[in-house]
Amino acid sequence: MYNLLVLLKKYSTTILFVLLELLCFLLIVNSLPFQNRKMVSVSNRIAGRWYRIVSNCSDYLHLKTQNDMLAEHNAMLMNQLENLSATTDSLIINDMYTFVPAHVIKNTIYETNNYIVIDKGEIDGIEPDMGVICDNGVVGKVVNVSNHFASIMSLLNSYSIVSCRFIDNQYVANVVWDNMNYRYGKVKDIPSHLIINKGDTLVTSGYSSMFPPDIIMGTIEEYDYDENEMFSSAKMKFSTNFSTLRHVYVVKNNYKSEIDSLCVTH
Amino acid sequence: MRNTLIRNILLFLGLTFLQVMIFDNLRLGNFIHPYVYVLFVMLLPFDTPRWKLIINGFLIGMTIDIFNGTPGLNAASTVLMAYLRPNIINLTTRKSDIDGKTAPSVSEMGMKWFLPYCILLLIIHNFTLFMLEAFSFHLIGLVLLETLMSVIFSSIVIVLIILIFKPIKNK
Repeated sequence: MYNLLVLLKKYSTTILFVLLELLCFLLIVNSLPFQNRKMVSVSNRIAGRWYRIVSNCSDYLHLKTQNDMLAEHNAMLMNQLENLSATTDSLIINDMYTFVPAHVIKNTIYETNNYIVIDKGEIDGIEPDMGVICDNGVVGKVVNVSNHFASIMSLLNSYSIVSCRFIDNQYVANVVWDNMNYRYGKVKDIPSHLIINKGDTLVTSGYSSMFPPDIIMGTIEEYDYDENEMFSSAKMKFSTNFSTLRHVYVVKNNYKSEIDSLCVTH
Repeated sequence: MRNTLIRNILLFLGLTFLQVMIFDNLRLGNFIHPYVYVLFVMLLPFDTPRWKLIINGFLIGMTIDIFNGTPGLNAASTVLMAYLRPNIINLTTRKSDIDGKTAPSVSEMGMKWFLPYCILLLIIHNFTLFMLEAFSFHLIGLVLLETLMSVIFSSIVIVLIILIFKPIKNK
């Protein structure tokens, strides 16, 4: 403290000088119109640059909420699209599916039976046996629901089986996982007379009440054709990248109970 | 002491009067703006501490500014000039020359010493003032020309003023 006082005393003249010059400068800038305009434009430039830096940083911090908003919006658009395509085809019931956006909060890909946990649950209307998709393709189906969370059996599960359809010839097969690699699945029950090429695209069949039809599942990578068998199988590359899964959509089939009640009548 | 104070107050009032009434109203082309009030800061005694120089410079500069309607413009340049006055004295004078002298006036130091001292301070003052007036480095050529012309004219006027008042100050 004493040193500070000594220092202040030593430089008191210079401090007085600087203060007086500052006062003069402020007076000039505030009272003379030309100097004032000039100063305002300079300070605008500096402040503009500064605020750009600040907003760059804060934008980065707000990315998460932005992402959530986009996902929400995306789900809304998907719902609208669903309604729209339904209205153009008079034979299909209107608004059959609605989509609920959700976050992946836990995900495994290297187990034999992989499960995903999302942050939406019973409160958000999630029920077991609902399908789950993402922007790139099919993810899995809901198996367990708590109030706020739901666990999903992903396609990377030895119990998982999803019906699919070749987009070229409309034949239907089943997609399973052979525990090998999280990028690849197996298509089985392909009728042997089918001619299949590498790169053929598979989509959901729409035969289960879980997924809407024509959601992309993957492309054929390898086809092991066996003439003697009735059905052959193929290696399929998932269009969904399970290792980078973030946003998913739970598919709500609004007529599921009605469809199911028809199935169990006998 | 009392004598010096009264003399300084009279000098302050007299120079302010001269500046505001006469020299601010002279129209001598675009480049000549004589500032004679700085003579007040120049003539303060040798033993005036720097902070008193600054305060005096600020007061007279601000007074001129109030009359001119340019708050801060003259004050800023006069404060800078007053702050640098001891350095200019060191630059132009040897220590032994000042011994026994009270004020840096013509009657005590002689015209040969006073003229460079006066011109150097005028250059500082005028350059700062015109620079603040232009408020841009693009006009530096114009500012330098203005400074040169004004310094020449102001120093002539200051010498004339000193010569006119010299008989009164002489004992």
